[in-house]
Amino acid sequence: MKAGGWVFLVLSWMLILSLAAFCFFRVFSKKELK
Amino acid sequence: MLKAKSRDSWGSRLGVIMAVAGSAIGLGNFLRFPAKAASNGGGAFMIPYFVSLFLLGIPLMWIEWTLGRYGGGFEHGTAPGIFHNLLRKNRFIKYFGIIGIFGPLVIFIYYTYIESWTLAYSLFSLSGKSAFITEQGAMQAFLKGFQGLERNRYFSGIMPAYLFFLSTFILNTCVIYYGIKGGIERLCKWAMPLLFSFAVILLIRVLTLGTPDASRPDWNIANGFGFLWNPDFSALKSAKVWLAAAGQVFFTLSVGIGVILTYASYLSKGDDVVLSGLTAASTNEIAEVILGGSIIIPAAFVFFGPGNIQAIADSGVFNLGFVTMPLVLNKLPLPQLMGFIWFFLLFLAGITSSVSLAQPAVAFLEDEFGITRKKAVGIFAVISFILCQPAIFFLKNGVVDELDFWGGTFFLVVFATVETVLFAWVFGIEKAWDEIHKGADMRVPRIYKFIIRYVTPLFLFVILGTWFLQEWLPIILMKNAAEADRPYILFTRIGLIAIFAVLAILVKTAWRKKRAQEEKLR
Repeated sequence: MKAGGWVFLVLSWMLILSLAAFCFFRVFSKKELK
Repeated sequence: MLKAKSRDSWGSRLGVIMAVAGSAIGLGNFLRFPAKAASNGGGAFMIPYFVSLFLLGIPLMWIEWTLGRYGGGFEHGTAPGIFHNLLRKNRFIKYFGIIGIFGPLVIFIYYTYIESWTLAYSLFSLSGKSAFITEQGAMQAFLKGFQGLERNRYFSGIMPAYLFFLSTFILNTCVIYYGIKGGIERLCKWAMPLLFSFAVILLIRVLTLGTPDASRPDWNIANGFGFLWNPDFSALKSAKVWLAAAGQVFFTLSVGIGVILTYASYLSKGDDVVLSGLTAASTNEIAEVILGGSIIIPAAFVFFGPGNIQAIADSGVFNLGFVTMPLVLNKLPLPQLMGFIWFFLLFLAGITSSVSLAQPAVAFLEDEFGITRKKAVGIFAVISFILCQPAIFFLKNGVVDELDFWGGTFFLVVFATVETVLFAWVFGIEKAWDEIHKGADMRVPRIYKFIIRYVTPLFLFVILGTWFLQEWLPIILMKNAAEADRPYILFTRIGLIAIFAVLAILVKTAWRKKRAQEEKLR
């Protein structure tokens, strides 16, 4: 795999994982359904 | 008189997130995405993909969650009732909402059958019936025999496929029968973690493939990932690539179907939709980009090599899932177990989607006719079972492709456009913005006010116009259909018009009943 491939793979994975981590962290620290 | 009754509801926040993510995560995450990325610029495909995700997918997700919760407040779980409440002055707007019941019903008709193949193959793998086939031609014959398209040494008719369809259909009906909390939420709460565990097992297996054939050092897993991820920036100049990315985002998030509207209608007025919607979307993205993008194409590269991989990526979803992947797994140690894991993963992805496709029709019967869930599920089961039959018996005549085009492509984009215009322009962006933030656990960035009002509708109109001229017109005119298949395609279209007409009559009847009831009470 070329360097460009690694850049796109790592950036895409990081973006998605950060978004998911941010969301789940906030979900678990906030209120439940009413 | 219609009985006033309390609607079903979700049991927990995680439950509704898992259910919406389950609806979104389907066969496409593991089969369609990697093929699309590989054929449309590799790593560079992720630029239009993320642009579409943030400008189209996530705004649509928020719109549907908000509209659904809003409708639930008026005891409406489907688009006719929700649209009617958005624009009470207009007596025709509810008929546009029919698409939100029609679309999922049409997809359910063929999706359940395809889902049953994954259940069948998971058991065929485990029992060893398909686990030792290592030739591409033989694996294709196995699939054709199973589908009843030909009699061969593997299958002498369609009966095994039909029995698996019956089992899958009954399983789906049972889940819906037990309701939102007792059926769908319970299923998704164990199915989703299991699906992710299976996908991680396969991911680890693929990552540790290394270079299985020492005589071909280039056929290794790093180059497999390279095939998918090495960017080809020239692809970004092509409008086709941008449309492919927008289409992938559209289909993967299950927006424009009507399913999210119905699921969100079971929330309470003060429940958050912003964070929950974003969490469901990000869960889907993990399944698609990280897991889906790392399994089938890199593994196929290692065993089929750089010379064949492009043809494999372009060979279609069924070929990738039911021919290429089992061939790869059959070349590894423990083929029976690995095959089972792959197909059962697809089955879990399938069933969590199919139950969501059934729910709008059931909710429509419950909410608008005041009948019990059990009765509504009974009516739905009988009608949808009859409607499934042409998809099973006329698969080779293009019936499934036709159903997929109308239910799973054309009306999705039309419905998303209608609901976005209604939400941002008819309901009004200021009211819409307030509605999104009721009970919200986080603020939506202010830029999204502009995006929802201008960018998302414009994006949808561009997709609608371009697809219509470039791709849909030849399909509508049956230009690519074989002469022998045309009567079947025509018959399918007549059937679809009949379904739409029956739904329109049902909407008219429900509203007439309600009006009569209101006049009685005056």
